[in-house]
Amino acid sequence: MMSANLSRRKFLAASAAVTAGSLAAPWIARADANEITALLITGGPLYPKYWEKIVQDFTAKTGIKVRYDLLEFTPLTAKVVTLSAARSSQYDVYSTHTAQIDSYFNHFAPLNSYFSDSELAEFYPVAVKYLRDPKTGNLAAIPRNMDSRVQYYRSDIYQEKGLKPAETWEELVDVGLKLTGNGHYGLVVPGQGDPAQRTFSDLLWQAGGDWVDQANKPAFNSEAGIKALTFYRDLIQKHKIVPPDAVGYQWNENSTEFSSGTVYANFDWPGAFATLSNPETSRVVGKWSTAPYVKDKAAISCAISHAMALNGQSGRKDAAVEFIKYTVGPEAQRLQFDQFTNFPSSQAIAKEVISAAKGPQAVWLQQLETTIANGKEWPKLAGFSKVCTLMFSAIEQALTDQVSPADSLNQAATEAEEIMRRAGAYD
Amino acid sequence: MPSVAQHTVSGRRRRSPLPYTWQRGYLLASPALLVMLAILLYPLGYSFTMSFFRWDLSGSAPFIGMANYTDELFGRQFNQALRNQTIFSIISITIEVVAGMAIAVLVNGKLRGMRLARTLLLVPPMIAPAVVGLNFRWLFNTQYGLVDALLRMFNLPDIPWLNHPTWALVSVIVADVWQNTPLMVLLFLAGLQSLPQEPLEAATVDGATPWQRFWHIVLPLMRPIIMIALMLRIIDTFRTFDVVWLMTQGGPGGATNLLTVYSYLLAFQAVDFGHAAAVSYIALGMSLFVLGLLYGIPWLIAKRRAI
Repeated sequence: MMSANLSRRKFLAASAAVTAGSLAAPWIARADANEITALLITGGPLYPKYWEKIVQDFTAKTGIKVRYDLLEFTPLTAKVVTLSAARSSQYDVYSTHTAQIDSYFNHFAPLNSYFSDSELAEFYPVAVKYLRDPKTGNLAAIPRNMDSRVQYYRSDIYQEKGLKPAETWEELVDVGLKLTGNGHYGLVVPGQGDPAQRTFSDLLWQAGGDWVDQANKPAFNSEAGIKALTFYRDLIQKHKIVPPDAVGYQWNENSTEFSSGTVYANFDWPGAFATLSNPETSRVVGKWSTAPYVKDKAAISCAISHAMALNGQSGRKDAAVEFIKYTVGPEAQRLQFDQFTNFPSSQAIAKEVISAAKGPQAVWLQQLETTIANGKEWPKLAGFSKVCTLMFSAIEQALTDQVSPADSLNQAATEAEEIMRRAGAYD
Repeated sequence: MPSVAQHTVSGRRRRSPLPYTWQRGYLLASPALLVMLAILLYPLGYSFTMSFFRWDLSGSAPFIGMANYTDELFGRQFNQALRNQTIFSIISITIEVVAGMAIAVLVNGKLRGMRLARTLLLVPPMIAPAVVGLNFRWLFNTQYGLVDALLRMFNLPDIPWLNHPTWALVSVIVADVWQNTPLMVLLFLAGLQSLPQEPLEAATVDGATPWQRFWHIVLPLMRPIIMIALMLRIIDTFRTFDVVWLMTQGGPGGATNLLTVYSYLLAFQAVDFGHAAAVSYIALGMSLFVLGLLYGIPWLIAKRRAI
């Protein structure tokens, strides 16, 4: 019998061997110089297949193997934050995003030295600008695709009621009021977290304001900022052209409200074009169209990007950069557009894609390209990630009528300046 | 008779190389103690240390003393979270204990169908909090939710469950009460079934009403169980996260921001681990203080009575 042969000494020796083996495993795996690890983003059934193809093609071309894990955006962000705090070298490559890039300036290795100026000039300037550390000029990540929003509206209902998609804030309210009723709403906007801050951000720029002034001091509580937040709140609380639950909505709920047919207009991201065209994910296939984002004084919306970053702790930086370069290269960007209608970050590929498109897709791509070319992003100053959390709360409190827009923004501006001062934004 | 230090292996007597002393006990337990230190105490100590540093991925992490604590204690968002936490804990625990006791007394009776009722009581605590959070998010949706649909059916006005600051807090309390009251029922039921019957029978013979029997006999005898239940729930409410996160993410406008949610937002959205750790330790300190009161007050009363 097994138990009869197993002495205490043998058992302890075997246990020690297993423990030593498991402890040594990461170093044994690391010994293979032709293998890198990556933490990549997923967001739907097509993503795993996409990454599998990218990795296979890359390995076939370079001989470098890629071991990767996939996570959705929120858990991915939490994991990157945790691993960066632990100075972990578990992954060589990270999927990342413009939104919180300022937190990682000291943890992602600069990519400037790996891309020539002419190569960087190929990408949309707005993306490259906001992925750079404003203090050092180091490029923390390279854009993989561009994200910006256009107006999606129910062309069938608009035609039936003799309406045109809104071009200005006033028209947005007018059209919304004419469409709201019988359980339907003229518009949907998000009202929580990062999506609420993005919506406020767009309205702030459109009203002629900005997040910070020339001295990088908070300026979002200017007259333009108060006007923007008041308009945003009024869409929900005064004009009531938005579903009342919108104060708890983020992007998914907005897209669902439009694709289910409950609301008649939405400002959505590039992926919505594919989702709304698919009968499995949309009840309004063939009943919608796109139009440019609305404007007040200016037609500005945020233009951000999902990006690829090199872990500063990586021991195989050259191989990792090869992979990063491949994921932002022409083949990967074309495949990305074909599968998810993700807008390319390379201007040349974007032009190719736009010129090859036909019908409504061509019109939409032109509108999207205009928004991206004129787009902005919030500042990447030290401490701004924490200011964002503060802004989520300030905006939500105004949207739910707990505090007036002016009081909410003034209080947030005072706290934001203190946060950025402590974080070294003015050193 | 063989001593404790002697063992019989394969029929032979062997003397252990070490005498049986307390050092030997620690030596034998040391692997387990080391593992425990590594996986429990080290992170706890590390995060406590972190709360005294500016720890925000900026590269340097200077020691800042109590600044993270004072920032939070005098900060607007922390105070809102603290207020929410206090309201949430007091109301949830009160409802759960009172309703739990009432239901336990009811199902303790010899009524028909009570066995099924007791079995069904196991269902809510068995469901994962994340699932409870998602279900209540849909139930309380103003447009599609079942609750407002029922209100409309009876020509009652809609309630803005998740989009009004006050109602949002009510909603998360309702979800918490739904999930945790049955646990109280089971605890109290176990207590009720182990009570001595003699005092109750004597009171019945003396003509005490059911309410008098409950108030003067059952409740005092149940005090230790109630104390345990209160402690469990106080600890639990201070670490409630999943239900609130999935229902409201702390919104709207921070109206349901509990200390755990606030700490999570600080760590993973604001990327400010120093403040997040400080908030976690303030919450820990508060729950220990409340538990201390729960232990200390009855002890002091008993001591005074003895004097």
